[in-house]
Amino acid sequence: MSDLLSAMQSSVSGMTAQSTRLRVSSENIANADTPGYHGKMVRFQETIGADGTARVSTAAPELSNQAVERIYAPGHPLADAEGYYDGSNVSLMVEIADARQAQRSYEANLKMFDQARAMSSSLLDLLRR
Amino acid sequence: MTENSSLLTAAADASRHAAARQTVIARNIANADTPGFVAQDVVPFSRVMTADTDRFAIRNTRSGHMAGGSGVDPRVVVDSSALGAATPDGNTVSIEDQMVRAADARQQHDLALTLYRKSLDIMRIGLGRG
Repeated sequence: MSDLLSAMQSSVSGMTAQSTRLRVSSENIANADTPGYHGKMVRFQETIGADGTARVSTAAPELSNQAVERIYAPGHPLADAEGYYDGSNVSLMVEIADARQAQRSYEANLKMFDQARAMSSSLLDLLRR
Repeated sequence: MTENSSLLTAAADASRHAAARQTVIARNIANADTPGFVAQDVVPFSRVMTADTDRFAIRNTRSGHMAGGSGVDPRVVVDSSALGAATPDGNTVSIEDQMVRAADARQQHDLALTLYRKSLDIMRIGLGRG
């Protein structure tokens, strides 16, 4: 029973981590056109909780070190002498793929949670007889 | 009666094993995107009837497996990277593979609980309350 509870806690930590990743990804997409914006990335790490449960957590977001896009727009207020200004370094394609992967992993965690819940409730059904 | 009670013990052990396996699989899936994480699994539940006695005997995959309770760690964790190649960041979790294993664990758990319930039914019939 406590095994199933810790399985559920692992799944919950996975869902939390994936939703953090999805949030960061959507922040990046929202700022894709912000001049000088550097995309953020989260890194997952395995942690062991105080009760010995294996969990996954997200480390502090790191800034992407991709080169920022140089956009030619002579009329832009931020443009330098040659007519260029710094855009963001967010790649929309990468962000959307990342968000999709986060969604799929979230679903997998949810399925595991559901299964652990079903298993523990069928265990409790033995007592109900 | 004694056979039935050892059958109950075997069923309880099998369901405990399935729960432990579910925990390990949930951990694998939670870490499906963690760099460097190596997928794990428990040693398969196997039991044999010993030849020298006619009673059920369970060969343990670990010492103290029959002790019961969750204080004892019931799992012997091994690498399970049978399917799916490692990603460039060193992660070997394949979600498809884990789903198959989870379905297997679920099935084993259901089997163990059904066995337990039926054994109880037989005992109840034996007591004349069927």
